[in-house]
Amino acid sequence: MSLFAFLGTLEIGLIYGLVALGVYLSFRVLDFPDLTVDGTFPLGSAVAAAAIMAGVDPWVATLLAFLIGGIAGWVTAFLTVKCGILNLLASILTMIALFSINVRIMGRPNIALLGVDTIVTPFENMDLAALYMRPLFVFVMVLISSFFIVRLLNSDFGLALRATGVNPRMVKAQGGATNFYIYFGLALSNGFVGLAGALFTQLNGFADVTSGAGTIVVGLAAVILGQTLFPSRRVSVAIFAIVFGSVLYRFAISLALSSGMFGLQASDLNLITAILVALALIAPKLKHAKKLRQAVQKSQKEG
Amino acid sequence: MIELENIVVTFNPGTILENKVLRNVSLTVPDGQFLSIIGSNGAGKSTILGAVSGETPLIRGSVKINGQDVTKWPVHKRASLAARVFQDPLAGTCGSLSIEENLALAYKRGRHRGWPMAVNNARRKIFQERVAILGLGLENRLGDSIGLLSGGQRQAVSLIMASLSDSKVILLDEHTAALDPRMALFVMDLTEKIIKEFNLTVMMVTHSMKDALAHGSRTIMLHQGEIVLDVEGEQRDKMEVKDLLEMFSTVRNEELSDDSLLLS
Repeated sequence: MSLFAFLGTLEIGLIYGLVALGVYLSFRVLDFPDLTVDGTFPLGSAVAAAAIMAGVDPWVATLLAFLIGGIAGWVTAFLTVKCGILNLLASILTMIALFSINVRIMGRPNIALLGVDTIVTPFENMDLAALYMRPLFVFVMVLISSFFIVRLLNSDFGLALRATGVNPRMVKAQGGATNFYIYFGLALSNGFVGLAGALFTQLNGFADVTSGAGTIVVGLAAVILGQTLFPSRRVSVAIFAIVFGSVLYRFAISLALSSGMFGLQASDLNLITAILVALALIAPKLKHAKKLRQAVQKSQKEG
Repeated sequence: MIELENIVVTFNPGTILENKVLRNVSLTVPDGQFLSIIGSNGAGKSTILGAVSGETPLIRGSVKINGQDVTKWPVHKRASLAARVFQDPLAGTCGSLSIEENLALAYKRGRHRGWPMAVNNARRKIFQERVAILGLGLENRLGDSIGLLSGGQRQAVSLIMASLSDSKVILLDEHTAALDPRMALFVMDLTEKIIKEFNLTVMMVTHSMKDALAHGSRTIMLHQGEIVLDVEGEQRDKMEVKDLLEMFSTVRNEELSDDSLLLS
């Protein structure tokens, strides 16, 4: 793997680290299977690209992507909490609605960010250093986001948020408004995914309405991979693990695709992802079954 | 003080499954009273607690806690005035959090939850003192997952949680029913201790007539959604389990004769 490819993989792994943080908040913290993110990622892209093309400051455009991503999450929460639609279905409804909305926002299915300033423009005049600056820049963004989430989840507010996903009846009995926590959690989750979309667009110079397909599976792969490798009840470890999982996932994919030894092509990406996630889900069960078998054998020998 | 006035609760109203669970029940529990509630299955024992906590929607009637009319308040808002301990030990605590995190959740019951760290040294000290009351050695393992504790231990922690914030009302819903006899005894003693120490007003639903008479200062019996017995003071002190059983069979017989009238 060339240095160029290495840094590129690191960069995309870190961008999707933000997606993984969002997926962690919905799937793990709130126990809410939220597929909205497949629509929120291109939404973040679309908002940032359209705003930048309209002359908005790129930092403001990025913030806008975060906020509007949050609104998408809020809509899914509304459909579930207020309208009583099954959570998975509610998120799919928001997701498909976003496809139309994203095309409306951009006015066309894709936008190329040519000749405009983005938040990464300052690095582009740095020649070789730009190569290192780009992943470093994303790393800093991920670091700030991670710190915020860890701190949040350890606060009084965050504790109730975490408990809402496990035992909502208990949270209510302790005076917590569980519905509010679902609204907030989903908005924050999708805000981070929108932010990831905005960064992706500015780093790659384009926004495309189809770029969201499979976002949820990639995010989930990172969460599952990370938490399988570093299982811990501590929030700080879990957050580190899933960002690490996201980067590791990217390297595994890019190795598999680039080595050519398996005869794989780029379009096999989804199949590999699905197999990887399935394996990560099965692994703990196999481990458990093996231990049980060993215990049975041991007792038979002794008995 | 808890004041229930003309409470009517009907499950599945307007359908063939319509079930009148509470029929015009009025009940006042003064400050510092420990009330035990007994009755057969479906008599409305748990429903009456649900009416106070807000989990059961009312058809008619009003609920006041400490003089405050809470009839229209949602469950989480009422939690600021009344703490609860559930029958299922798993229901009252959050299994994926540590002991101290569970306590921190309860510490903020009925108060604003904001940005400060949920567990800090000052709070940990308070938690340690409180948990030490249990005599289970949990004060040294506050960081452990509460999922590691037994049902009885979790129920004991639930009691501590219920007494952590300063509300004066506690609702106990058959909170020893899921425990083995030894642990049930331990939790019941602990209940008595905590109620005395913090001078709480208590409504306790129980299936055990022995517990109902042995603990507290007043006992009511529910039958088919109505209060059929309400004893306290001297009259209650003289009562034994067999008197209650007699009461039970008397109301049952009435029910039978009602039916026989219908069938004849």
